Amino acid sequence: MTTTAGALADQLRHLLGPDRLLEGDLARNLYSHDGSIVGGDCGIVALPETTDEVAACMRMAHEAGVDVVPRGSGTGLTGGAVPLEGGLVISLARMRAMGEVDVANSCMWVQPGVLNLDVSTAIAHLGLHYAPDPSSQQACSIGGNVGTNAGGPHCLAYGVTVQHVLGVEMVRPDGQVVVLGGVAPDPPGYDLRGVVVGAEGTVGVVTRVLLRLTPLPPDVRTMLLDFLSVSDASAVVQAVIAAGVIPAALEMMDRNMAMAVEEFVHAGLPTDAAALLLVEVDGTPAEVETATAVVEHVAREHGVRTVRVAQDEEERALLWKARKTAFGAVARVKPSYYLHDCVVPRTRLVEIMEAIGEITEREGVMCLNVFHAGDGNLHPIIALDRSDPDETARAMSAGDQIVRACVAMGGTLSGEHGIGVEKRDYMPLVFDHDDLEAQACVRRAFDPDGRMNPDKVLPTGTRCGEVGLADTQVPEGTWI
Amino acid sequence: MDLRPADRDELAGMLRAATAEGRVLDIRGSGLHARRGHPFTADDVLHATGLTRVVDYVPEDMTITVEGGVTVGEVLRLAGERGQGWPQAPSQPAATVGGVLAAAAGGRRRLRFGPIRDSLLEVVVATGDGRIVKGGGRTVKSVTGYDLPRLLTGSLGTLGVIVQATLRLWPLPMAERWFTTRGDADEMLDLAQGVLADLHRPTAVVAGPTSLHVCLTGVPDDVVAPAGMVDAFEPGGPGAGTVGSPAGTVEASVPPAALPALARQLVADGFDYEAWMGTGICRARVSAPEDVQAVRGMATAHHGHAQVIDGDDAMRTDPFGPLPAGADIMQRIRASFDPAGILCPGRFAAADPVPA
Ligand SMILES: Cc1cc2nc3c(=O)[nH]c(=O)nc-3n(C[C@H](O)[C@H](O)[C@H](O)COP(=O)(O)OP(=O)(O)OC[C@H]3O[C@@H](n4cnc5c(N)ncnc54)[C@H](O)[C@@H]3O)c2cc1C
Ligand SMILES: Cc1cc2nc3c(=O)[nH]c(=O)nc-3n(C[C@H](O)[C@H](O)[C@H](O)COP(=O)(O)OP(=O)(O)OC[C@H]3O[C@@H](n4cnc5c(N)ncnc54)[C@H](O)[C@@H]3O)c2cc1C
Repeated sequence: MTTTAGALADQLRHLLGPDRLLEGDLARNLYSHDGSIVGGDCGIVALPETTDEVAACMRMAHEAGVDVVPRGSGTGLTGGAVPLEGGLVISLARMRAMGEVDVANSCMWVQPGVLNLDVSTAIAHLGLHYAPDPSSQQACSIGGNVGTNAGGPHCLAYGVTVQHVLGVEMVRPDGQVVVLGGVAPDPPGYDLRGVVVGAEGTVGVVTRVLLRLTPLPPDVRTMLLDFLSVSDASAVVQAVIAAGVIPAALEMMDRNMAMAVEEFVHAGLPTDAAALLLVEVDGTPAEVETATAVVEHVAREHGVRTVRVAQDEEERALLWKARKTAFGAVARVKPSYYLHDCVVPRTRLVEIMEAIGEITEREGVMCLNVFHAGDGNLHPIIALDRSDPDETARAMSAGDQIVRACVAMGGTLSGEHGIGVEKRDYMPLVFDHDDLEAQACVRRAFDPDGRMNPDKVLPTGTRCGEVGLADTQVPEGTWI
Repeated sequence: MDLRPADRDELAGMLRAATAEGRVLDIRGSGLHARRGHPFTADDVLHATGLTRVVDYVPEDMTITVEGGVTVGEVLRLAGERGQGWPQAPSQPAATVGGVLAAAAGGRRRLRFGPIRDSLLEVVVATGDGRIVKGGGRTVKSVTGYDLPRLLTGSLGTLGVIVQATLRLWPLPMAERWFTTRGDADEMLDLAQGVLADLHRPTAVVAGPTSLHVCLTGVPDDVVAPAGMVDAFEPGGPGAGTVGSPAGTVEASVPPAALPALARQLVADGFDYEAWMGTGICRARVSAPEDVQAVRGMATAHHGHAQVIDGDDAMRTDPFGPLPAGADIMQRIRASFDPAGILCPGRFAAADPVPA
């Protein structure tokens, strides 16, 4: 540890006490990872419990010139919360207080360490829920969701995290606290709140989040459809939406995935089908009736084998459990997995599924697919054993080809997991030099010293260039 | 001078030249609502109305990519032909897509469909110094890099000229109708509260001092007149209403639950208004500069804020009110997008660098 880092550790220990400053090897190893396969190098870990403590930590890090990595639950899949070169990790995991529900305005302030699912559980008795529901919702934190602009199955109709975050309180890199956004809509000025959501911890540490709460729908119907070909299922995804129905959720699972999940959850998934669609429609009873009819009609036109409608809340919960534990079920196949969450335009679903099949077959790796089909957001999961270097290399290569195929079809790198370290170097596939430089400038506007979660999101070497004019070029009378 | 670029290359050239020469530009779309922000003096007016290409429309993906000068009416016409719509759009067919986005001028259906920023997927902008910068992505879901689309929405022409936008479209509903009734302000507000409480996701609930307009969207069975209301026979909802009056319009934003109280105060003080119930947004017609401060005072008392969205110069001496949080961040962003400060300097003074 360098002297500055050592002095910072002393200050933080003084502030937080020895229990809330982790310096041991075990902790440092733990905090060098997240849900991805990226491994880093953790310096020290602070566990503040209040905004004031976060601000104090940030001021100390600022004075010491030490890098800071904010961390929620560490379920991220792109290495976003992984420190790469020592520095200070600020874990928000102990900041788990929820404010009072503002029923009249359907919103609530929560601390960032609050787990996603706990929000909906806490407010269900008021007939409300928090709509973004990542599959990891039992484990991931609201702060992390804000960091990655998380999505979830129900974001198809309800929108992703940024559409449900009315405001944030954030500690800036120099320790100042700002509140961006709020209950009253559209404050004057640029929408900085919109930039903070999805900035992957590179602009500050979010210490409170104002969540928009959504009424529970009066009626809901959940259907499981199974098909003998992936193309048929993909065609149904497109046709349902083309028919004017935006389901609350429209998720696909391929046969490999269905088999892994069924062994684990016993939800009665047909394991001989090529693809399953989990479709949920909600709204008024009349809306649900109409949407159900459209879905069934379209599915029959495309050769659906069976349409299973969840008969009660228990069956519905079971079907959702099957969907949401899918990543976990991969553990039954191989110890580890590697996945991308690229997006393609919905119209290219059939093509990309074929391409993924070809790529993974060529590389000789096992691929399981479970994804947000309604918005073209893929999650091809390559199961692997990381102790096998050859298989790992083939998995990486397959992943790389899949990303490139998605972009070539007019898609993008990430739908909801973010860029982190994992996809950082793919950014030039979708953005040119000027685009990236402009993004770097936005980032620098928040973090002039470049100490927030460095080396994430933008490819190494991307700078906010010398966009300022040379003195001699400054025209008379302008106010630069 | 009036500058009328026909395409993005010509536009970029003009911006480079303006930056080099330090010529201040006013950026215009259709100019329907040019009276926004703090007044400033421009050397030239740059009209983005020549950028009229429809770059790509993929109905199956429900995304449309158009240049900034394409009008709202044109987008709605094209989309309508394929049974789709842009529900977040304002009700001015002549407004340009660039102008609507730059002014964050969403429409009355916000209650159900959300603010206009949620409909912008990808944006291409020409910076003050003529760089062409793209942000976001054309897919309906994307977290690929920093959210430039949201940053540009509401930037009032101070970060760049919107060259191109990819919008997310929605299927046209099976049914949509506006319903109306008349009565005094209290009755209207009570009725509005009832509609908000009883109906699942109404599309718009717009209360005025003497009338209430409700828009319902969905399946025909659900699109029926709420108790006490009748069919309005106005497809777009209430007429242009309070906006665009010769005097001025202040947009007050308060927590949604405070809107009835705000409206009652407005009525008591003799203001005409259009309250978008459930969203917290209320447009008040003002006729003198003092009115701006009066309305702002009411909004602030309800923990909100107020902006002048239309008005002559005298009405816009303080169009935004107190400085928003993070003004220094905004200044740095602006300085990097418009290094010579030629894009509408002064309009959004909070983002202009503070003179030394
Ligand atoms: C089984 C499984 C299923 C998943 N399913 C989904 C899914 O359906 N949808 C989806 O979107 N994601 C999914 N994920 C990914 C992951 O859960 C999300 O990215 C989630 O938002 C991360 O939350 P976290 O609390 O674990 O954050 P972390 O992993 O700790 O951090 C994520 C990022 O946010 C930043 N961050 C965290 N807290 C803060 C803060 N307070 N202030 C500023 N920045 C902060 C970090 O620096 C990092 O860049 C899944 C992951 C797993 C393991
Ligand atoms: C009768 C009437 C009723 C109205 N009703 C409503 C309403 O209900 N809801 C509502 O929200 N608005 C309403 N408006 C306002 C109007 O719809 C919006 O302000 C819209 O922005 C006007 O578009 P425009 O093309 O005329 O833009 P302009 O008025 O030309 O410009 C508006 C702003 O955007 C900037 N700008 C224009 N084009 C670009 C570009 N390509 N790139 C970058 N910046 C640009 C300008 O600098 C300016 O700051 C109304 C206006 C009128 C006249």
